Amino acid sequence: MKYVTRFRAAITATVGFAIVLVLWQVIGSAKLLGPTFPPPSSVIASLTVPYRRHLYIRASLATLSTAAWGYGIGQAGGLATALFGHLLPFSRAGLDRLASVIHAIPMIALGPLFMAVLSPAWAGTAIAAIGVFFVSYIAGCTAIESAAPTHRDLFQIFGASPLRRLWLLDVPSALPALVTGLRQAVPVAFLGTILGEWFGSAHGLGLLILSAMENFQIALLWSTVILCCGLSLVIFVLLGYVERIVGRHYR
Amino acid sequence: MRRFLARWWGPCLLLLAWQVGVQASGVNQIVMPHPMAVIMDIASNPLVYGRAAARTLLVAVPGLTAGLAMGGMLALLCQFSAVMEYLLTPLAMMLSSIPVVAIIPVLSRLFGYHMTTLVVIVAIICFLPAFVYMHAGLRSVPAGSLDVFSVFGASARMRLLLLRLPASVPSCMTALRIAAPTAILASLTAEYLMQTGGLGALFRITTAEFRSERAFGCSLVAMVLSVCCFFVALHAERAVTRRWQ
Repeated sequence: MKYVTRFRAAITATVGFAIVLVLWQVIGSAKLLGPTFPPPSSVIASLTVPYRRHLYIRASLATLSTAAWGYGIGQAGGLATALFGHLLPFSRAGLDRLASVIHAIPMIALGPLFMAVLSPAWAGTAIAAIGVFFVSYIAGCTAIESAAPTHRDLFQIFGASPLRRLWLLDVPSALPALVTGLRQAVPVAFLGTILGEWFGSAHGLGLLILSAMENFQIALLWSTVILCCGLSLVIFVLLGYVERIVGRHYR
Repeated sequence: MRRFLARWWGPCLLLLAWQVGVQASGVNQIVMPHPMAVIMDIASNPLVYGRAAARTLLVAVPGLTAGLAMGGMLALLCQFSAVMEYLLTPLAMMLSSIPVVAIIPVLSRLFGYHMTTLVVIVAIICFLPAFVYMHAGLRSVPAGSLDVFSVFGASARMRLLLLRLPASVPSCMTALRIAAPTAILASLTAEYLMQTGGLGALFRITTAEFRSERAFGCSLVAMVLSVCCFFVALHAERAVTRRWQ
């Protein structure tokens, strides 16, 4: 029964997606919404045209490396802060407040700050890191507390050393929440990078988006945005698979 | 005072680090203004900042409202039709895995550079969390309550009105909390890109002119605005959830 429902859901989603694509194609090629709504065929043509391949690859690599640095720094910072708050409980209320303030700060408002403090190339990394930090801090706090108290008591009763308990209980039970945090931080890292690249970076997908927008290159604009979203989507889905495997093993 | 410090030591520390950092490194005021200079600029030009902030709020608040309404409506639609459910759920999943704010350039070209475009953009971006949370909320009915309703022969409309809608209220408030800072971020970003007034446009112009006190002031005002919106939404969520349980 469950498989039938899932099958029907998949079929409906595929049909719906196809209908949207066809509608998009019709509206786009008839220019019903004006010249700024291109049909998918011309977006794909712009995405696959040979002379732009090099441009896309270079821009994607630049954005990916900026995003990866921001992602790594943000994750490390967030998890370290969560651990710090766990070890020193009196700092926890302040850390929570700080994290929610950081979360509420609009990423784009950080642009001038990081442009002044860092080089333009690192502004994207820094903004991405700030965004990832919050997601990772929340995931870290959930992860640390996810071992069941009864299991902890069991380890205590059998006289396990703290290190042994950490390795055999705390780390395995923290893994699922950690991987969820890893997955949810992916679009945030991309967003931070793109916003950073809008503040005068010399390369990357963000710059390509901005210049295509300002020069009215509509097909290029759409294809770059789709490329960027596609990259984020692929990494997100891959981490989703990792999450499922980890969840099956450790939950 | 102690309670204040226990909660707010983080931002205070950041402000202190800024002042100390500027003084210790001796960088030019144009590159990195003193916090005092920025605060003085805000205090002596309240009208400039106030007008820009009001304009940003005038975009963010209607956009947020429209986005929440749209998300709620579609979530309700999913309750009535399985086809809608199968169509919309994958879409929502896909939207949550991409950097949605990065599609603002596409939307701004699509709808043209107007004030209404800004509102539409904010609404589209706020729609996603609203839909996801309200959709989950409509399904989070207490265990067994659906059985009770069917035993007493309640109609689908009764079930919706008396069970699902009340059950979804806490999730609606969560959606508001998640979407409130997003609305500010989206309107700032759209204003920044389209330069149609508001704080976002003001700090793009002042950054380009190297009036860094004004640019930092805009950043600071935007941050305070966003943080305030977030905490108002957070307290509203807590108040409603407490009363509801």
